[in-house]
Amino acid sequence: MIDEGNSQAGSARTDQTWLMSAHPSLHWRATAQLIRPDSRRYAVLTVVVVISAALALAGPVILRRVIDQAAEGATVASLATLAAAYLAAAVASQLGALAVSYLSTVTAWRTANAVRLQLTGHVLGLDHGFHRSHSPGELIERVDGDVTAVSDFLAVVVVRVVSALVLITGAVAVVATIEWWLGLAMGLYAASTAAVLFVQRNEAVEEAAAEMQAGAALYGGIEERLTASEDLRANGAGPYAMDRFVTETARYVQVAAGRERAFLRLWRRLQFSIVAGVSLALVIGAIGVGSGAITIGSAFLLFQYSRLIQHPLEEIGHELEVVQKANGAMSRVVKLLAVQSSIVDNGTTSPPDGAMSIGLDNVTFDYGDNEPVLQAIDLRIEAGRSVGIVGPTGGGKTTLSRLLVRFVEASGGEVRMGGVAIAELPLAELRRRVAYIPQTVDLVAGTVAENLTLYDPDIAEAQIDAALAEVGLDRFRGSAMHQHLGPGGVGLSAGEGQLLALARVWLREPDVVILDEPTSRVDPETELQLETAINTLFAGRTVVIVAHRLSTLDAVDEIVVVEHGRIVEHDTRSALVDDPRSRFHHLLSTGLELDLVGGRRPEEGQ
Amino acid sequence: MGTSRLTTRATRHEARYYWAGGVAFMVFFVLPALLGYVVSLAFGALSEGNPQRLYWLAGLLVVLEMVRMFVLHWGAIWFTQAWEYIRAVLRYNMLDAQLVSGGPNSGRPVASAGQAITRFRDDTEDVAVLADTWIDVAGGVVFTVIALSVLATVDTRATVAMVLPMAVVGVVATLLGSRLRLAHLADRQATAEVTGLLDDVLSAATTIKANGAEATVLARTRQVMDIRRETAVRSRVYGYAIRSFSQSTAEIGLGLVILVGAVSVQQGRLGPGQLALFLSYGGWLGFLPRMIGLLVARSNQAGVAFDGMATLVADNDPANTVIERHLDYRQRVADGRAADVANGVAGGAVDRDVPVSGVVDRGAVDRGVVDRGAVDRGVVDRGSGAVDQGALGRSTVDRRVGARGVGVRKPLQRLDVVGLQARFDSGGIDEASFSLERGSFTVITGPVGSGKSTLLRALLGLVWRVESRGEVWWNGELIEDRAAFMVPPNAAYLPQVPQLISDSVADNILLGTGNRAVLDQVLVTAAVSDDIQAMVAGVDTLIGPRGLRLSGGQRQRVAAARALVQQPELLVLDDVSSALDVETELELWHNLAAADTTVLAVSHRRTAWERADQVLRVEGGRLRSE
Repeated sequence: MIDEGNSQAGSARTDQTWLMSAHPSLHWRATAQLIRPDSRRYAVLTVVVVISAALALAGPVILRRVIDQAAEGATVASLATLAAAYLAAAVASQLGALAVSYLSTVTAWRTANAVRLQLTGHVLGLDHGFHRSHSPGELIERVDGDVTAVSDFLAVVVVRVVSALVLITGAVAVVATIEWWLGLAMGLYAASTAAVLFVQRNEAVEEAAAEMQAGAALYGGIEERLTASEDLRANGAGPYAMDRFVTETARYVQVAAGRERAFLRLWRRLQFSIVAGVSLALVIGAIGVGSGAITIGSAFLLFQYSRLIQHPLEEIGHELEVVQKANGAMSRVVKLLAVQSSIVDNGTTSPPDGAMSIGLDNVTFDYGDNEPVLQAIDLRIEAGRSVGIVGPTGGGKTTLSRLLVRFVEASGGEVRMGGVAIAELPLAELRRRVAYIPQTVDLVAGTVAENLTLYDPDIAEAQIDAALAEVGLDRFRGSAMHQHLGPGGVGLSAGEGQLLALARVWLREPDVVILDEPTSRVDPETELQLETAINTLFAGRTVVIVAHRLSTLDAVDEIVVVEHGRIVEHDTRSALVDDPRSRFHHLLSTGLELDLVGGRRPEEGQ
Repeated sequence: MGTSRLTTRATRHEARYYWAGGVAFMVFFVLPALLGYVVSLAFGALSEGNPQRLYWLAGLLVVLEMVRMFVLHWGAIWFTQAWEYIRAVLRYNMLDAQLVSGGPNSGRPVASAGQAITRFRDDTEDVAVLADTWIDVAGGVVFTVIALSVLATVDTRATVAMVLPMAVVGVVATLLGSRLRLAHLADRQATAEVTGLLDDVLSAATTIKANGAEATVLARTRQVMDIRRETAVRSRVYGYAIRSFSQSTAEIGLGLVILVGAVSVQQGRLGPGQLALFLSYGGWLGFLPRMIGLLVARSNQAGVAFDGMATLVADNDPANTVIERHLDYRQRVADGRAADVANGVAGGAVDRDVPVSGVVDRGAVDRGVVDRGAVDRGVVDRGSGAVDQGALGRSTVDRRVGARGVGVRKPLQRLDVVGLQARFDSGGIDEASFSLERGSFTVITGPVGSGKSTLLRALLGLVWRVESRGEVWWNGELIEDRAAFMVPPNAAYLPQVPQLISDSVADNILLGTGNRAVLDQVLVTAAVSDDIQAMVAGVDTLIGPRGLRLSGGQRQRVAAARALVQQPELLVLDDVSSALDVETELELWHNLAAADTTVLAVSHRRTAWERADQVLRVEGGRLRSE
């Protein structure tokens, strides 16, 4: 299976294998790849960074002259001129820093948004096996939270590192012109501090990743409980859910403190070398002045430069937290991008136009856990036929329907569409020619119309109106189609949501239609109206309807009965109805006992 | 209650971390005053030609820095925890208000979990940031007073010149601070749009793929993300600008000092030692004005955050987000229960006990006396002043080991619904009145969107109380708080589209009641026993996020078991047929018939009507008896 956590029957939050294991340097390379499309912006940014750093180096050089000239008895006027120059350099350097922060933020966010979109698209493309083990709340944290950490890294840390490099190089050069061995000493010191930083940069990555994982579990849990809040309230399960929340919080605080500890370990070493550097600058300055090799002004310059390079180093040290968060985040981004859908899209064969036949040869399916969902399925559906699939819940009906649109891939055997093995068909063509309405009703933030078109601006209003009419959602026709629904379809009843999902079929012109429980949430009267509409879909198309309400299947040509992952019966509907020993006949009579077939009004049942 | 008081209350949760961390950071902020002084002495010694003294001072400098590192180490560890505990109590109160069954602490249910998540993530952070800023300001004040006093003894005029850039930083920080707040707000909103959309899109992956709508959906995602990029850049760059102005005080201040004190410099009164002092202190003097500027903005920001969080808690009162809680975090970590959760092992069950008795004695009402039972929730909660202490709000510590709590059961004789009403823009239910006798079976029918589910939800108190009117009488007693009373064992509810959570099958059914003995029986009644037994781990099978590892029908039957497990007096079912095959449904109906309980069910099945003692029909939000 594609995701490691799946096989151990663990829920999403338990699959710690997500976290690390990829080699850290990989992330730097991956990060570099992210930057490449925006390389020109990054080049401009680098130029601004260099200018800003050069301005910062100018100040101490001026100050050195102030001190030395004062000692030599310069005039007040010349001192004041130098002071003005010093002020100007300080102001200009700050303006430069501001320009850097603006440019770097804009650029980093451009990169980050590109990554977010790439990730969203990638996650959308992953198969059902992935989605059934990762909650949307967790995925939001991956797509949004993790990438924000990466963009903060790009905007803040990378820029700081470049600035620091420029500053250090410049400072060493300036000091070396005063006295070559001072420059050498400073260069050695800067290199050793940088080495400390570099060696340790990955030290707390595991802890940072663990913190993010615990955070994702915490937020995922909150999101899930809020989604289920009505169920929990109605069952008086608040205390239970809160108990779990407190446990997750306790875990999170523990992990956060652990991450802080790991970070501090690293920060201590860096801080130590910075303190050593400043003290050394003082001592070396003293030795130089004492031996008459340098002036007090130069000693002051040395001290000021040691502060100047200390500042970005210290900041990078502080930002190591960001580096590590980003590295942890990046490792998950890389991992997420590396997750391959088990559905490989490299088919090139197109079946002939028009309704397609469907064939399954000895198809088996399991979710990688050795609990077969489907076994030894052989099925032929001729082009243009309509077929109902019935059977007990959990028997594999939905999985069977998913196989036909490659939402899951058969573990064994072959599925054919229009005589072509389904893997040979380009996925886009398959999904375009086969309309599939899943059992779950998915609604998105936006208007009723947008829910129908899924944000496709090219679908005409008249077409939307017609589709709404087909499913009987009259109260949203006309201008009401622009009524805004809340996220997740707030403002619709469960039945209306299902009708809306079903209406999407009429916006397309498919060759095959697969409906999974299309009417499970609507009342029999509405269902009766829908039947007519659904039956119009039959003309010139192959239609597969999964249903447990047998009344939905009055007009189909054939019936397939699936039980415990096997096809136990397949024949024309009329043949099965007439055979009193058939499973379908039995189901029908059970259904009769249970239900009203033929769509009589409920009252007549009394 | 103002933002400051609210934030103060939040810091009282596990307060020792906040105080310990705060004190450590104060020391950390004040130490540079000493450090700068030592540096200045060192340069003084240098210009006086006394290197011996300088070596000692360099040594002292190292020692002081070590102290500072030590202090910061502990400060950071304590404050990390303080920070998370502040957020934890806010989160606890919001989540509890969303999940509690009625009572004075219940809040209005949120429409979108995806959007509400920003309240838990970002709004709580704003409050922690404010509490953090207080410490910074306090440390800054102490440092500034010391530093300016020391500088004034060196050169008063130069000190005034140093204060000038500080004032500029203060003004800039205050001006940009309010802009920063607005930019931050816009960013917050844009982020909520992004996460809300991502939640929908990622939840709807199947539908999007099935409709080949990846491109259009991504185009929409790009739109909202582009808007967010603009807001994000704005809010971040304002933040950088404030910080960068503050950092420039040292250099700019020193320039001014030399400019103003050129004469002193020339005469040697402002020598390298003094200049070093100004330079060292200057670097820190920008800190206080920046923090004061940010304090204004962050207080406002935290105020907005409290307003946002208040929408999730009772009465929209932000005071209810900071109710003090005593949660046994340490115990959990010690027990290793936390680790259990991380490993996906079924967590410790909570003892749920005496549930809400929201029933009011009718006679008592006449006498003007209301008999209110104590609200008793399973989680430790020593209510605070935020809720009415006297009445229903009283809560007690309750984590008694082994106290397998089952609520006070009020055997149902007769249920009367009078003028029940719940209206929204998109429909609802009007003036519904009906009665149920003990052991009776009542079926509700009606077309899609007619208000059937709303009727059930209003009856159970699941419709937010402000939007619902009417009375429900239980054995002739008025139920004052339906949300609190209509829970197991009095009533249980099976929604049309039940939601499960990523726990084991057993946990989803028992929900902490610990009543494992009846589990097998209930699985049989709910007709899901065979399915569960076929799973390798049986009732301990983890069902994945939102229960997605189960089929739709299995989810529904697990939810049915959840409703049945406490043998409720009244069972409320919303269209169980929507995910069940005919045989399973028939089995379920037969099993329910055998169980001695009062049933109110939305159903379109003949079996249901045949058994029904009455059929109620809902059309266009109106109820008519058949």
